[in-house]
Amino acid sequence: MITSSKRVLKAVSMLAVGVLWGAQAGAADLTDVQTIVDQANLAAYYQGDDGRSEVRMLIRDDQGREQLRQFTILRKDVADGGDQHFYVAFSRPADVRNTVFMVAKHVDRDDDRWLYLPDLDLVKRISAGDKRTSFVGSHFFYEDVSGRNPAEDAFELLETTAEQYHLKASPKDPQSVEFSRYELWIDKASMLPVRIDYFSNGDSPYRRVEALEVEEIQGFPTVVKSRVSDLKNGGETTMEFGFMKYDIGIPDDLFTERSLRTLPREWLRRPQ
Amino acid sequence: MKRGLSTLLALSISLSVQAATEDSSAEPDPWGDDSWGEQETGPAIHGFFEAAAGARLQNDPAMSEDKTLTEIRGHLEWEKALGSANYSLKGDLYADGVEDGLQLDLREATVQFTPVDWIDIQAGQQVSTWGTGDMLFLNDLFPKDWKSFFSGRDETYLKAPAASIKGSLYAQNVSLDLIWTPLFESDRYIDGERFSYFSQLSGQQMAAPGGVLNADEPNAFPEDGELAARLYGRQGSLEWALYGYRGFWKQPVGLDSNGHLIFPRLDVYGASVRAPLAGGIANTEFAWYDGKDSDGSDPLIPNDQVRWLAGYEHELVPRLTGAMQYYIEWMQDYDAFKQSYPSSYRPDEVRQVVTMRLTWKLMRDNLTLSWFNYWSPTDEDYYLRPSASYRVDDNWTLSAGANLFGGEQKHTFFSQFEEGSNLWFRVRYGF
Repeated sequence: MITSSKRVLKAVSMLAVGVLWGAQAGAADLTDVQTIVDQANLAAYYQGDDGRSEVRMLIRDDQGREQLRQFTILRKDVADGGDQHFYVAFSRPADVRNTVFMVAKHVDRDDDRWLYLPDLDLVKRISAGDKRTSFVGSHFFYEDVSGRNPAEDAFELLETTAEQYHLKASPKDPQSVEFSRYELWIDKASMLPVRIDYFSNGDSPYRRVEALEVEEIQGFPTVVKSRVSDLKNGGETTMEFGFMKYDIGIPDDLFTERSLRTLPREWLRRPQ
Repeated sequence: MKRGLSTLLALSISLSVQAATEDSSAEPDPWGDDSWGEQETGPAIHGFFEAAAGARLQNDPAMSEDKTLTEIRGHLEWEKALGSANYSLKGDLYADGVEDGLQLDLREATVQFTPVDWIDIQAGQQVSTWGTGDMLFLNDLFPKDWKSFFSGRDETYLKAPAASIKGSLYAQNVSLDLIWTPLFESDRYIDGERFSYFSQLSGQQMAAPGGVLNADEPNAFPEDGELAARLYGRQGSLEWALYGYRGFWKQPVGLDSNGHLIFPRLDVYGASVRAPLAGGIANTEFAWYDGKDSDGSDPLIPNDQVRWLAGYEHELVPRLTGAMQYYIEWMQDYDAFKQSYPSSYRPDEVRQVVTMRLTWKLMRDNLTLSWFNYWSPTDEDYYLRPSASYRVDDNWTLSAGANLFGGEQKHTFFSQFEEGSNLWFRVRYGF
């Protein structure tokens, strides 16, 4: 209750200084499913104009064996809800250290993707490919990390509870994905999806993405710990975000070949 | 050599023991270190140890040795930011059981700095790569290590380092790379050590010790240096580049008037584009090889060439990617060449090569099955490179594969290595 009244105050003060914040939580429930989806997409993937975060993943396979991944990610939005740039520099494990992955995400055409292999000094272009395959060996898919384009699914609002919107999504092109539907639960206060269950058919999900911890960073509710579970075969990956900072003023020209070949250390360094 | 080997082994074992101890002491934290709490500021040392073995699938009458790869290798990397400069060292020490001896290969020793915000400088021993070909090189005249490539070492080792100064200049829509290698650095070409080659002079396979190729490398400073330039940019999703090179053929493909092998002069001009096309990536590249035999009548040095490449990569099904390339080397002034080169080993006017690559990633990328082949319909020969690589965990990787050569005639580009066809196996511990 305290949180939501604070939120109202905040929304009011933001409106007062002329920032259009859209219909925020604390106000009446949203009933238009597209509005809910759009706001959730912005909350999950477009907070601030840019951002930096360190990420580590703990991958546990179905036999309990563990692998680690650690990288720093830089993001800049071209437009809210639209195109984005991502720059990912790996620091571990040893075999991918200093490998860089760069994506120009487009909403109206295939993403552009590059991989830089430091030992060969090779800038490799990667074909668009299936976005629903493992991201760097984890249970996360590329699409979980950079965001699935909401235009690819048809949404239906199943239920509105005191805290959450419960939605169902059906792919417009079922051939392009491995699921027949997914259901998501969006927190009304933060508008962040806190759980997504994927179904192939029937009523029991085979895959689950969960937000385990949410923190407010520079005023933006942010998922700082999440998990993907393979409910069919076992195995899961936990992803943690740390040392996050929004609106640090990353220049456009960071997302070019220069940064692939020469690490932009100034931007990768942990902010003080 | 034996002593070097045992030292390397001892070092590798003590390091892995140390790593294991560290892991168990940090028991509740699976990360096993505090890199999350404290940013790495001091010099960091990483690398790997690797044991590798490989052998010919048949006897090579020209060589007594059946092994093509027998080595224990330690690779160490160190880097440090000091003031506004970054220092990097990468080196390999390996005990080689084929070309007996303990070898040091300095892969990188560079200082990198940004004197003004639109210029990067990187000076020192370094590997450089550009161009759009996959295992085919038109405008990339940086040194290659074909012995490593043929024997089953990691693909990384196809690129050999050179002592160079690289200056990169950046403007709004266009960038320029200039790489000056003050002293010519040749390919690590097939010279009769490890693999035999076909000699047109003797008409048979040649190998060490008698048949080792001995060539005089251009070594006058500064006129025998190499200069490579690339002007490049990106328009939306399309990448374009213009290239220039002034230097030498990277292998001793010429003879002087005394019959000594030489690296003839070579200038190269070229261009490439690469862009997404129909859900895949398409690329094309062109290069003009401008040698010193301008009318093609000198049989001792290669004629000028036009090289052209077109390639396309596409995901076939999820996790399985396919790629094809079509490549030609078109000799100029072929009539003059025919007059001056009556040998039965005379190459065709146009050499065509088709490559195919399949990469299949399984078990959440822990298992990679890979196929790459070169096939020349004009030379009627081939080179197949199947391999499999399995990441046991974040430290251990096992890989195995083959290098299979063959063809209709014994003297052509790939066919001459038929007796070098081999199987290989590697185990690596990375840290």
